[in-house]
Amino acid sequence: MMPSQVARWLFAALAGLLLLSIWLSLALGPVNLPLADTLHALFGLSGLGAPASPQAELIVGQIRLPRTLLGLMVGAVLALTGVAMQGLFRNPLADPGLIGVASGAALGAALVIVGMSRWMTLPAAIEPYVLSAAAFAGGLLVTGLVYRLGRRDGQTQVATMLLAGVALTALAGAVIGLMTYLADDATLRALTFWNLGSLNGASYARLWPLLLVALGVALWLPRRADVLNALLLGESEARHLGFDIEQVKRELILCTALGVGAAVAAAGLIGFVGLVVPHLMRLLVGPDHRLLLPASALAGGALLLFADLAARLLVAPAEMPIGIVTALIGAPFFLYLLIRSRH
Amino acid sequence: MRREYTLAGLCAGLLLSLDALAEPLPQRWVSAGGAATEWVVELGGEPRLVGVDTTSQHPASLQALPSVGYQRQLSAEGVLTLTPDLLLGTEEMGPPPVLDQLRSAGVRIEQLSAASDLAALEDNLQRLGALLGEPQRAQAAVDDFRQRLDELQRQIAALPAEAPGVLLLIGQGGSNPLVAGRGTVAEWLLQRAGARNLAQHEGYKTLSSEALAALDADWLVVTDRQLRGAEMQQALLAQNPALASSRVVREGHLLSLDPTLLTGGLGPRLPATLEQLARTFYPDLQPLSADAR
Repeated sequence: MMPSQVARWLFAALAGLLLLSIWLSLALGPVNLPLADTLHALFGLSGLGAPASPQAELIVGQIRLPRTLLGLMVGAVLALTGVAMQGLFRNPLADPGLIGVASGAALGAALVIVGMSRWMTLPAAIEPYVLSAAAFAGGLLVTGLVYRLGRRDGQTQVATMLLAGVALTALAGAVIGLMTYLADDATLRALTFWNLGSLNGASYARLWPLLLVALGVALWLPRRADVLNALLLGESEARHLGFDIEQVKRELILCTALGVGAAVAAAGLIGFVGLVVPHLMRLLVGPDHRLLLPASALAGGALLLFADLAARLLVAPAEMPIGIVTALIGAPFFLYLLIRSRH
Repeated sequence: MRREYTLAGLCAGLLLSLDALAEPLPQRWVSAGGAATEWVVELGGEPRLVGVDTTSQHPASLQALPSVGYQRQLSAEGVLTLTPDLLLGTEEMGPPPVLDQLRSAGVRIEQLSAASDLAALEDNLQRLGALLGEPQRAQAAVDDFRQRLDELQRQIAALPAEAPGVLLLIGQGGSNPLVAGRGTVAEWLLQRAGARNLAQHEGYKTLSSEALAALDADWLVVTDRQLRGAEMQQALLAQNPALASSRVVREGHLLSLDPTLLTGGLGPRLPATLEQLARTFYPDLQPLSADAR
């Protein structure tokens, strides 16, 4: 076990990193706001100081703050559920997409994006909400199916569930392919961009549902650290240690489906965070889930905020899909750690 | 009687000028949408443009302007860095939450119609004319557009020749070209140039090269995002060998078309393109009269 002194330092460092990422996410953007204006706007928003200039207030309060909150929530939830899935499946390659929630969400989104352009028209103002709702529902539906298929005689077979996840992902992929085929040029681009994720256009109205779900997941998952530790020994060993494994599986899967479903509904598919952050943190804090879960939540939020900064600054005044950035930052760093830890 | 008219005219003039005082014309424009941007330039608004999207590629001088990205994926803060008074686009512009944010930042947002019909074009140009303070020039552009199309229509109708069967392909380096079907700008273009679109499906679809050959078109109009002219033809035939022996290729009836013509509704370059296409389809077509050219 890691000496608690080192763990304490590590958490201090992670918290510092997260605070830095939040500050930068609020202070930096394509519009060059002086530092004083940003501070002023923040104090104004929290009701402490006099209101700032309308321009600064709008940019910090209506554009950057919801975006920062969205990034934090999405990053933390993806990383936490990544830890949960890797623990449940005892498979380092597991990520939240394994139980079909991501492909289900993508299916829901594809049906709405293509369906709206071909068969019905909705007022542009409610389009994003319908899209989010469909993605969320799609994620829950496919995950529910995966879970059902994995059950036999009151037992959940993890291996069967994994295969069912693969099969249903393929099936969802086929339907998405059909939608891609039916799509016109513009719809195709909308679909592609959705699949790369973005925190662009975050607003409070779309933030609240995710905020509630994410807080639930972030508060609840760390309480299951002991069971996840026991699962490291193996399923039957964990059962012998007195844990109700079936109950735990159900809870972990529900948690992942809700969390990832809400994250994907709000920001599109953002790859890599759920896979890489848990690994990174395992290399730093070790396999103990009591440390791993909170560390992953902090690091996931920070990574997503840094990635979003790059996404909005690199090609300003245009913007890059954040999924590209997370993979570009995440993959080489992950490789570096892998190579280093082997020596 | 006459005096009353003068008085009414004066009043109207006063009202108009008051109106103009009340709402100054937007000076800094960001334009998203290929055809909309082309019209802004056509109506003399290019000096007001401070940014364009990735679909606004014509004329080439626009490429020196900052790009705000793809029209459906605008970034609120990104657009705000250009401090625009007006964001012009079509109903394809978005995402909607970003448009709301921009609106609350005081940016005026105007969404034109991307439909390919003359009524939509007329409405678009009237709005553009008002925004630019050039209503007469915009109206003249509409009338000219309409007149050139009508003239072409009239001349084609007068010819005894039968309408040629044509396919319009949108390619990417020659591979898997999409064939323009019903309800597309491309089909509108073909019909206005006096051709019959042989494709019966809705929207744009890929057809197998066998199906392409079987449709036995009189002409193929190809718009490729990468290649032009002979290179395009070579790539297309290399990817679709069944076409090589077809009648249309043996007769050399392949035409190349600028792909930026087909984005975001009817643009100002369409009449000239139509006349050119029509003259290729109907070699007997009279040169168009001077005022319609």
